[in-house]
Amino acid sequence: MSSRWLRPMVRLGAALLLPFIVPALITALIWALPGDPAAIICPPELCSGTEALAERWNLDKGPWHFFSHWIGGAIDGDFGNSWRLQQGVPVAEMLVESVPNTAALVSLGLLLLILAATGAATRWLPAKLDPVLQGLGLVPSVVMALVAAAALTIGYGVDQYSDEANLVRLGLGALALGLADAALSGTVTGVRGLMESERQQRYVQMAILRGEGVLANALPNTLPALAGQMRARTLHLLSGAVVVEVVLQINGLGDLLWGGTLAQDFGVVLAASFGFAVLSAVLLLLQALIEIGTELHVRRSPAGVVP
Amino acid sequence: MPPTRRMQIALAGAIATLVSTGATLAFYEESLPTSMNPLYAQSMVDNRVHELVLDRLYYHSPITNELTSNVTNQWALAEGGKAVRLTLKKGIRWHDGKSFGAKDVCYTVKAMLDEGTTSPIAQKQRAVFAGCEVEKDLVALVRFTKIFHNPRERLGFQVLPEHIFEGDTAIPPDHPFNTRPVGSGPMKGSMGRRGVAFEQVDNAHHEADIDKMILQEAQDPLVQVRTLQNNGVQGIIAVPPPYRPEVAASDELALKSYDLRSWWFVAVNSTKPYLKDARVRQALNMLINRNELRQLSIGVKPDEQNPPCEFISGPFVQSSPYYNRAVEISGNSDRAAAFKLLGAAGLKQVGGRWQYRGQPISLRIGIKAPLEIEAPDLLSQIGNQLSAGGFDRQEFKISVDEWNTKVLTGQADDFDLLVGKWSFGLVEDVNPLFHSRTGDKGNLNIFNYSSKGVDGLLGEFNTARTDTQAQDAYHALHEMLASELPYLFLWKLDTKSAWRTEVRSNTITPYYYWTVFDAWKYEP
Repeated sequence: MSSRWLRPMVRLGAALLLPFIVPALITALIWALPGDPAAIICPPELCSGTEALAERWNLDKGPWHFFSHWIGGAIDGDFGNSWRLQQGVPVAEMLVESVPNTAALVSLGLLLLILAATGAATRWLPAKLDPVLQGLGLVPSVVMALVAAAALTIGYGVDQYSDEANLVRLGLGALALGLADAALSGTVTGVRGLMESERQQRYVQMAILRGEGVLANALPNTLPALAGQMRARTLHLLSGAVVVEVVLQINGLGDLLWGGTLAQDFGVVLAASFGFAVLSAVLLLLQALIEIGTELHVRRSPAGVVP
Repeated sequence: MPPTRRMQIALAGAIATLVSTGATLAFYEESLPTSMNPLYAQSMVDNRVHELVLDRLYYHSPITNELTSNVTNQWALAEGGKAVRLTLKKGIRWHDGKSFGAKDVCYTVKAMLDEGTTSPIAQKQRAVFAGCEVEKDLVALVRFTKIFHNPRERLGFQVLPEHIFEGDTAIPPDHPFNTRPVGSGPMKGSMGRRGVAFEQVDNAHHEADIDKMILQEAQDPLVQVRTLQNNGVQGIIAVPPPYRPEVAASDELALKSYDLRSWWFVAVNSTKPYLKDARVRQALNMLINRNELRQLSIGVKPDEQNPPCEFISGPFVQSSPYYNRAVEISGNSDRAAAFKLLGAAGLKQVGGRWQYRGQPISLRIGIKAPLEIEAPDLLSQIGNQLSAGGFDRQEFKISVDEWNTKVLTGQADDFDLLVGKWSFGLVEDVNPLFHSRTGDKGNLNIFNYSSKGVDGLLGEFNTARTDTQAQDAYHALHEMLASELPYLFLWKLDTKSAWRTEVRSNTITPYYYWTVFDAWKYEP
């Protein structure tokens, strides 16, 4: 295999393995903790009959027995019932509720970054705005989310989980996610730096002299690096989403993961982590496809050239 | 709130009034319930919520304090007092329309007796119930393991619907019922990730006036109070002490006492060599100035009429029939008497600090962390008073998890003093708190305190056949514990709820809160 295919292929492999590796690691962690896993999940003061529970939850025959049952069910879309967070509710139902919310939150945040990246790449966004963006980026997402949460609660009161309030919550969350922790300023300076350095390349200068567009020439060469940057930013948003969802009480995957961890509901933790792993895998897959597409495009002979 | 937002709310309110026969009552709870199944209740929030959705066989009326029932017509002792025959009311239905009957009562008893029901509450009930028999559709014979002097008080459990569990008496903690229960209470409840929605259900034995309710998890206390003032919600179950004056000052809000039937204590580790002598524990008791503590921590003024904090001298609240009024309450400290006792117990004061066998005593004092919300700085204030009495101290806040796993299981031997509170529902049984840890006895004995005299009195209570015998045993126990002092008994502390004045006839039942919810009215 040519070395140029190696990187996308590694990404494809990682994308396929990630949804299995993350739950496997968490399973190993459950068994690495001191004490009986069933007693950790449901301590004796909350549940009697730990042995019966261990058997019911496949925790009685070691980590492999548990993991194989869990992953088998997960592939079929059956994640079991919540043990403690929302006792008895199918975890799949909780995932179905959560994934769209997290996807919407991260997508809105990402949209903000893509618009800003486009503005920076095309020089539409002036460089003198950078200090303002950097100043905004100094505010931690938790602070922005807290302010938004207080405003929502006082403003909406009992209606704070109405459809309207949830839309506002999502918008404020995306704004906090996009602006805070230097997400926006990092994107703008990163993309601007990359594009400005590419603009200095001789082939781009020649293209300009030939009367061709800058982006049409520079973009194919910068696209893999931009895709890498945007994947990193998306991962940044995904991890920030946990904080924003918890503080703003958005029913997303991050909030599910947090709630499951606090309640020691490892079934929910596994499922939420699986959800995050799948999202990360999708991003890896997208990056790999962009790299492959760019590679094919760059290597394609121009029309009329005889090999 | 901006005027436009006020207008929106007013408009929404007006429309809601036009299209609906009733309004939605929203309130803040301390947290979300952990389970809607009473067998898996873990907190007071759970106990309160279950009261709305399910029916207890028997309860104490908050008005008359009489033991009464919404679901039974008659009762009679049977089998020489080891069983009770219950005749249920006709026409009661579950929220899904199915009939409520003796089969449900017996199913509940059998579910509690089934080892497959992995609930600690059911486990405790196994010591009380022996079985149940359906004699007729509406007649159940509930059997006890022994003769109880107060058999109906043992029937304070909520009845579960047999048909939902399809007769399987092993109820696991991840049963769907635990989040979406089918009950027979005044409201149908469904728990989500952010709250619990309740909807009124008419029944032969319930006719609640309020159509809909929403329970939401408490936010920051300031946000809670502001939302209540803005009419965003109509009630707060527990208002933190610092915000009570602000709520009390408002004409639109009413502060109401909520008796949790709980009492506060400082458990003393009598297994430590320097705390083994009862005289040292008595001296610590004398060093505590309860008047000052409740003023500094809870904000009760010395001349306050009907303070929410009532001192106790033993392990019962003052309204309990088991409270022994002959035992004196100690409100102020008596340092001279305390020093005399410490000297007599062999402790020596060097440089103003107490020493035991030449070693300075440094008391490790812990508190269950959430209690500091109800009584801010209580740990520091107790520490300060003991320090002023010549004891060095280290202070620790103990998480709920650690409290449950370490303290309640008798494994907190590294502490000298622990500040906590106990709450009691229908049955005031303090045996698990003070009996020596043997077998299934004394399973809540924090520092594994052991006294033959105390065990004897607890045994007397257990074998009592009449209320008088039971009261005599616990009165004597009260007196003995006030002298032995495995605990320094502090007070009963009512919490305060806040409701908007549009909410009327809102009688709050001690401990269970919503027992007489049918009478509540909301007139926005």
